[in-house]
Amino acid sequence: MSVRGSTQSVASDAVVVDRVSMIFNEGKSNEVEALCDVELVICPGDFVSLIGPSGCGKSTLLRLIASLISPTSGSVLVNGKSASQARVEQDYGMAFQQSGLFEWRTVEKNIELPLELKGWSKSRRRQRATEMLELVQLSDFGSHMPWELSGGMQQRVAIARSLAAHPPLLLMDEPFGALDEMTREHMQAELLRICAASETTVVFVTHSIPEAVYLSNRVVVMSARPGRITEIIDVDLGADRDEDTREEATFYGKITEVREALRGAETTDEPRGIEDR
Amino acid sequence: MILRGVRRVALFFLALALVAAVWEFYIVVGPEKGGEVFGMRVLPRASGRAMPHTWEMGQRLFDPEVRGQDRPIWLAVLGYSWYTFRMALAGFAIGCVFGMALAVVMTRFRVVERGLLPYVIASQTVPLIALAPQVAALGGNWDLPKWTWVAALGAFLAFFPVSIATLKGLSAAPAASLELMDSYAASWSTTLWKLRFPAAVPYIVPGMKLAATAAVIGVIVSEISTGVRGVGFAALTYAQKATSDPAQVYTAVFGAALLGLSMFGLVVAIEVFAMRNRPAEAN
Repeated sequence: MSVRGSTQSVASDAVVVDRVSMIFNEGKSNEVEALCDVELVICPGDFVSLIGPSGCGKSTLLRLIASLISPTSGSVLVNGKSASQARVEQDYGMAFQQSGLFEWRTVEKNIELPLELKGWSKSRRRQRATEMLELVQLSDFGSHMPWELSGGMQQRVAIARSLAAHPPLLLMDEPFGALDEMTREHMQAELLRICAASETTVVFVTHSIPEAVYLSNRVVVMSARPGRITEIIDVDLGADRDEDTREEATFYGKITEVREALRGAETTDEPRGIEDR
Repeated sequence: MILRGVRRVALFFLALALVAAVWEFYIVVGPEKGGEVFGMRVLPRASGRAMPHTWEMGQRLFDPEVRGQDRPIWLAVLGYSWYTFRMALAGFAIGCVFGMALAVVMTRFRVVERGLLPYVIASQTVPLIALAPQVAALGGNWDLPKWTWVAALGAFLAFFPVSIATLKGLSAAPAASLELMDSYAASWSTTLWKLRFPAAVPYIVPGMKLAATAAVIGVIVSEISTGVRGVGFAALTYAQKATSDPAQVYTAVFGAALLGLSMFGLVVAIEVFAMRNRPAEAN
């Protein structure tokens, strides 16, 4: 498992993270080195999960890609542009653990928000919102208020909102973290279906190993203090993953592999002794 | 819904009857010359001059303001109250707009907040009685109609609660929502309009409730010290005749109470409208 270096990156790459370090409160007593020399290249159509112990900087890495914060050193390219330029051009959609829906807007109006900010006409917005509601299978709930919906439904609305402008890239920060196990597995299947239908590249932060394995074709394992990428594990469960996939040996094999990698990342001094099955 | 409305109205009249009963009870048991403790009067006089019976007040409503007139006094008081109501409404509206604008500026520029907030707070400790004649003189210089500066003084009291409530509300938007707007590269004003302001509404509405009553008080007090003929001025003139006509002043009190309730009702209507699509626990 090698990390592709920046020299190999091309303009068509979805995301290029080039030797990025992030230090919060630099020079102060509460200085934190959140990320150290991180390199990562994500190809169009990839579903990449960032996994690691809390404090490993996975959310920080996502926020750097989103250009919500700027790196202390290094650079981030999104769609061949600087991350901040990509943000201005709304090249990505974003979803958080809290759905973050505006409670004073109907479901439909929430989905229309990014389109409104892009200056789309009302009829065009309404049409796209209807399409998105269909995609997340909430067609009957367009005129409902968000607080009338269950947590899982709210999260689906948030995903619809993040995809409304058809961004080529979707950034998700533990979007299913607050959901119960059953809803969560259902949402994972939904997300795969939606992303396949819309051909979206996804960067997905999670701390659930089965979630990362089930969803991704690449799992990026990170370690804490300072946050760095220790291993990238390729997963190939096939495009036709379903509920049965969760009971297959290959699925468990990959879960074990990621778990071992995480354990190895935690205690780098000890002998690893990983045996891939 | 209808049943609840009927119950509310019934409760209102029950409370009114209770107040009247307490009033009458005190007239019966209270000391004629008032009660004194160590030379300080702590209990009001229960004499007919100081405390007329409730039915006398009721009857007085249908007698004319001055003997010989045809028009019953309730009509006159209603006229005064309507005049005061319009000034209070103008003051409330100006106060709300100014208060919100001030909060927006203070939110946008932290320096302004630090510099201005102490003065905003200090402004509320200036006695209105002292300020009113000054503002009146200023209004006179500018050739403004009298009611405008009385309304301005109402606004002077009304802007404060709205401003403080809005200031708090504008910073109440969830961090995740702010980050979302950030991810859209939305400008500050877009974020204000689409997120911060709607998120502040549940905070602004209670501020408006305080502002409505503050505007009424501001206008009534300003009337007294500037001689604009609204219900506050009427209360003052009636009070001067209290020895010969003790019930008359209470007709003005009723007018003022009605006015206050109307203002409050207006804000409740605003609340129902502004909060119509909000989750129940926010109401």
